Amino acid sequence: MAKLSDQLASAMAELEDDRVLNLIKERLQAGTSPLEIVRSLQEGMTEVGSRFETGEYFLSELVLCGQVMKDAMAELEPHLAGENQEYRGNIVIGTVRGDVHDLGKNIVVMLLKGAGYNVIDLGVDVPAEKFVQAIKESNAPMVGMSVLLTGCQDGMKNTIEAVREIGNKVTVVIGGNYVDETVRNYVGADYFATNASEAVKIAEKIFTTK
Amino acid sequence: MSDKEKIYQENLNRYVTAMNVGKPDRVPIRLQLSEFMAKHAGFTLQEIYYDMNKNFAAASKVLTDFEMDVLFCPPSVWWATPHDAVGAKYYKFSGWELEENRQFQYVEEEYMLAEDYDKFIADPTKWILNVYLPRLHSEFAEPGSYRANIALIKGAAATVMFNGANQQAGAMWAKEFGVPLGIGGFGKAPFDTLGDTLRGLHGIMMDLHKRPDKVLAALDVLIGHNIFFALATAGGDTTLPTFMPLHRGSYPFLNRKQWDNFYWPSLKAVIEALWAQGKRTLFYAEGNWTPYLESIAELPEKSIVFHVDQTDMAKAKEIMGGKFCLSGNVPNTLMAYGKPEEVKEYVKRLLDQYARDGGFIMDLAGVAQTDLKAENVEALIEATRQYGVY
Repeated sequence: MAKLSDQLASAMAELEDDRVLNLIKERLQAGTSPLEIVRSLQEGMTEVGSRFETGEYFLSELVLCGQVMKDAMAELEPHLAGENQEYRGNIVIGTVRGDVHDLGKNIVVMLLKGAGYNVIDLGVDVPAEKFVQAIKESNAPMVGMSVLLTGCQDGMKNTIEAVREIGNKVTVVIGGNYVDETVRNYVGADYFATNASEAVKIAEKIFTTK
Repeated sequence: MSDKEKIYQENLNRYVTAMNVGKPDRVPIRLQLSEFMAKHAGFTLQEIYYDMNKNFAAASKVLTDFEMDVLFCPPSVWWATPHDAVGAKYYKFSGWELEENRQFQYVEEEYMLAEDYDKFIADPTKWILNVYLPRLHSEFAEPGSYRANIALIKGAAATVMFNGANQQAGAMWAKEFGVPLGIGGFGKAPFDTLGDTLRGLHGIMMDLHKRPDKVLAALDVLIGHNIFFALATAGGDTTLPTFMPLHRGSYPFLNRKQWDNFYWPSLKAVIEALWAQGKRTLFYAEGNWTPYLESIAELPEKSIVFHVDQTDMAKAKEIMGGKFCLSGNVPNTLMAYGKPEEVKEYVKRLLDQYARDGGFIMDLAGVAQTDLKAENVEALIEATRQYGVY
């Protein structure tokens, strides 16, 4: 487990919710830029992601982390108005048509945001046109499609075909409990992931090569 | 004894022998084909959710076309009509909330709030009637009102109609096809009742950190409820196992300490109490349960059938073999995207490696959906008949 030198990042990684909020208040009062505070929080979240990957943290810790981050951002929101947040890039994500499962997708969204991406979350039961429109508008180089129900995988194939027609070389990553190499191949995706930290690693790869 | 009655007895004996970790004449086939049955019989999903006769007819068509020893259960375990009649908010059904051929869906939310714990723990039935039902069903919105009273009558009448129709269908399949049902009644882990149905994933995960004592107290009151529910839905049957689909205990939802303290003790108590009354549990372990196999193996011998979805099959066999019957493991993606020869090869290997000494039931890893291919179901059955003879 890595030791984080920044107190706020470390409090985030340890999921100490009260301490996170107190440190944010202290730093805002001391005149620290809100964007710098966000960076500390992201550093802490990245550590949470690595701890999940090494098996030290479980989904219960990721859910708690999401709540701590949400509370922290609510505190910061009024101070962020007018600040220009810098992102590592845009990612479009959603649960495919016919499926309303979003527990896994929401955790992926949280970790991607934590890693510094601008995530455009289209929600659940998302039709192909909505994916296409969001990719066109954001010019995102990566799209994530979540599916739990195997019966909805066929619809995902059509969605991916529609996305390919845009022609701007978006990389398609699919995720879900019953997703594997067979499914990836069938629906024509570029990558598949069965847990949230894999998704973050794939994003890392896509954005460093693009 | 008619031919069908004789076949019924043979099928049932084969199934029960396997569940008792014995060696029947051959490996029994019990496939959780679910919504695939509707597609195969030419019905829409809306039809099988809303029309019980079509739901049963779909199973009859599958029993006509495929030779199975046991019918897991009819394609739909729900009858959507009463859900609509009482204005239930937690399910979406095909035909109006979803397209006619979409799988039904559960809408997960925090239907029980953190501040409800004390009242729930003090008197769960009272809380369900006064708070939970009104919150989740538009027809119960005002408890004690004319509409709410009628809704209670509608719900009770529908439950009786549904259970009666299912029993009749079971008797019909026994008589006409000589095939017994695979399950008798439904059960849940107390943590899943609290974590899926009542508090939702976000709620329960926050509770583990914020109010662990209340979680434990609530699990405690759910133990008795869940034992009763499993026995009541089985109508007194102790030949067939209670179907217990298990969710939040799979890896990696909970850390080890949480699993040991919150998930396992109450589930173990339910399974042991059922077994003390002769009722076995189909431990339908959805997802991956590999890290917990040794704890599960502490259960009394034969008290469960351990169903393998994404659990490591070799470890399951090593730790549980000889103690509990195993079922499942044929990947749903193979059944949907693979070729019949690939399915046969997989089944042959599965039987060779894990079924040689008995205590094995052939099944898919997870609940099937409409993406399954009929020729792969045929291949799975053929290969089991060929290689699964003792």
